[in-house]
Amino acid sequence: MNPPTSTDPGCVAACVKWVDLSPETDPTSGLPVPSAHSWGFSEADRSAVEVALRLADDRGTDAVVVCVGPPDAQWALGELAAAGAARAVLVTSGNPGDTRGGASSGETARILADILGPVGLDADTVVCGDISLDRGSGSVPALLAHHLELPQALGLISVDLGDRPRIGGATRDATTTLMGVRRLDGARRERVGIPARAVMSVEGAVAPLRRAPLGRAVEARRRVQRESSPRRPEPVRPARILQWRPPPRSLPAPEGTDAFERVVSLTGALEERTPPRVVELAPPQAAAEILRQLHRWGYLTDAGAAGAEATAAKATGSEPTDPVTAEPRP
Amino acid sequence: MTEHTAERPSSDNDDFDAIVVGAGPAGSAAALELARAGRSVLLIERGPFPGSKNMYGGVIYGRILDTLVPQWWTEAPIQRWVTRRQTMMMTGEQALTVDYRTEAWGRPPYNGATAYRPDFDSWLADKAVEEGATLVCSTTVTGLLTDSGRVVGVSTDRPDGDVRARVVIAADGVNSFLAKEAGLYGEVDPANYTVGVKETIALPRSVIDERFAVRGDHGVDIEIIGCTGDVPGGGFLYTNSDTIAVGLVLSLPALAAGGRRPEELLAELKLHPAIAPLVEGGEVKEYSAHVIPEAGYDMMPELVGDGIVVAGDAAAMCLAAGLWLEGVNFAIGSGAAAGRACHGALRKGDTSAVGLGDYRRRLESSFVLKDHRKLREAPHLVMGELAQQKLPAMACGVAEDMFTVTNPEPKAGLMRIVRRQMRTNGVKLRSVVGDTWRALRAFG
Ligand SMILES: Cc1cc2nc3c(=O)[nH]c(=O)nc-3n(C[C@H](O)[C@H](O)[C@H](O)COP(=O)(O)OP(=O)(O)OC[C@H]3O[C@@H](n4cnc5c(N)ncnc54)[C@H](O)[C@@H]3O)c2cc1C
Repeated sequence: MNPPTSTDPGCVAACVKWVDLSPETDPTSGLPVPSAHSWGFSEADRSAVEVALRLADDRGTDAVVVCVGPPDAQWALGELAAAGAARAVLVTSGNPGDTRGGASSGETARILADILGPVGLDADTVVCGDISLDRGSGSVPALLAHHLELPQALGLISVDLGDRPRIGGATRDATTTLMGVRRLDGARRERVGIPARAVMSVEGAVAPLRRAPLGRAVEARRRVQRESSPRRPEPVRPARILQWRPPPRSLPAPEGTDAFERVVSLTGALEERTPPRVVELAPPQAAAEILRQLHRWGYLTDAGAAGAEATAAKATGSEPTDPVTAEPRP
Repeated sequence: MTEHTAERPSSDNDDFDAIVVGAGPAGSAAALELARAGRSVLLIERGPFPGSKNMYGGVIYGRILDTLVPQWWTEAPIQRWVTRRQTMMMTGEQALTVDYRTEAWGRPPYNGATAYRPDFDSWLADKAVEEGATLVCSTTVTGLLTDSGRVVGVSTDRPDGDVRARVVIAADGVNSFLAKEAGLYGEVDPANYTVGVKETIALPRSVIDERFAVRGDHGVDIEIIGCTGDVPGGGFLYTNSDTIAVGLVLSLPALAAGGRRPEELLAELKLHPAIAPLVEGGEVKEYSAHVIPEAGYDMMPELVGDGIVVAGDAAAMCLAAGLWLEGVNFAIGSGAAAGRACHGALRKGDTSAVGLGDYRRRLESSFVLKDHRKLREAPHLVMGELAQQKLPAMACGVAEDMFTVTNPEPKAGLMRIVRRQMRTNGVKLRSVVGDTWRALRAFG
């Protein structure tokens, strides 16, 4: 593949993924129902395009939209780019039978890095959607940052795009041109400074995508540049998977003077123990009996057992009984 | 709009030769004809893709496509070919069915076919695009652009959303705001409209084959009368590959006056002993509703104005005449005629109402207005009390009396049974004769 020539040094790129937005399963068979009409770009990806457009506006540079996907994506990609991107690039696998783009996350990241790297579009900032709706690994932005050797700010829930109030009084410093906020575990958030050259991923609510003007929407299909993926997907080398074995533990030797005694001691065969009890009951009574037994063994507290008894009694229509004695309770 | 670079329209002021509003069957057929004639045409659709906003019962009569897309049956997205057609008359717990089946409808050139509208409308729009039409989706036309009373383009809900053309084809469906804005409709009477509601119910393919006694890609079309209680209307049930569509068409004013809810009436139909075993165990995948222009010929607007033509449901071209509910073929027929007439007017350089007059002439000489004119009385007749309530009750009553064995009493004669049923159902001989005469004239 000849890499596309750069529009302007330092463009802002949005990377988007062609996914089934409302996957359907056949209610009678449980199998996925293929649908030509439910494929598109997620809200997160649309938001990524809007962020890219605003950043490009701010910086007086071009925005480009790139997708590694099947030829089916061309029209929708053109519509996305019609919102204001200078160009859209669709990288197809080149495999005629491939309808879905067919690249793994690792391969996608490498293809995107080829397109967006210094010998390609030479993108300064790359914005991706946070997580794809097709239960993707969410790893493409990170892998892309690795290939492009750029810092990453992933999972952003807001970005200070200049035309919005600053978030929590965060200010930009010399090394960061943008401020963003991202989610952490435990409902916490962190503010991150994002350098001018970076890979970001954003959630869907960060910036709703603007509507394309009619003229550009009409031209949308023609706007997309088609590229064939240069690489064949790398063969997957499965890691060697070993069976899990518990780590060895040293145990004291069984007591006993001869082999028979030691076997008896090891197996506990002749020890006195509660003999098994066989009960045959209707399901509600069986449930109540199980609760009683759990209580006897100490798995249920008195209060818990009493509550369970009451529920069981309601279900069977009988008097609540004492969980221990099984006598009717006063 | 400034960025258009497709084939140059014939006038420098215009972005396109023609704009078609609505990528339903009428709009796509019009765009296909225009593009095929070498015209630059913009097809505007408000939904994210053609057919995304459209619903109907489910049967398309495809012969109108023979000239538009030769061998259409080899590529159209068809669910099943209808080889079995039933007309069912029912009362609360009776049903009398006339069942017709023929293998001839299961081979080319076929007759009716069930299809999903998102698939079918997208396919037809793609045909127009392949011929060179420009399709833009997710774009709603919000009004007409006029110059001294003449339509010169449309405005849309997009930024910089005005676009100009020498002729606009309004194929925007029932309730066409564009035809109304152009002053082509007179007073709108709600009595001319019905509302259609439909459930699409998933069932395994093998179960459908078994329940409806069909095999392979053959399917069934059941039209039902007498299933809507005191609300004039009718019902239908069609088979797709692995779903069935069951629905009702109901008089709007009667629904409003009676305070009945359409979904309630549909639930009652699904519980009817003749229908319940057919839908049993299915999973409802979709519920949808849409208005139908029911009164046909009597409610049609002016079909052309200066710079504008109206086609399909927008011009009330749907044929809803009891035994027939055909809208898609009439939409395609009228859309194709509109496309050809506009091409002719563009060639002559006259897209005024007079220059576009050929559209009406084309429709008059085709099945579109011929059938509508012939069946002009049919919608009123079908929605009348006799057809809606008395006839189904009487027919079911006669069948029941004939086939009930009441030994030791001897069998009653047919005339006696009919007279008894007429009395029971309050049917007067005079009104039967009158309505039979009207029916013969309407359907003759
Ligand atoms: C319940 C029901 C059952 C039916 N059953 C059958 C049947 O079995 N067989 C049959 O042949 N017919 C049936 N019909 C009738 C049939 O659906 C219609 O007659 C047919 O769809 C008309 O086609 P059309 O292209 O004129 O309009 P539509 O199919 O309504 O298409 C109009 C298009 O215009 C678009 N549009 C509207 N306004 C705008 C705007 N402002 N800007 C941009 N786009 C716009 C819409 O989104 C739509 O895509 C049924 C109808 C109903 C409601």
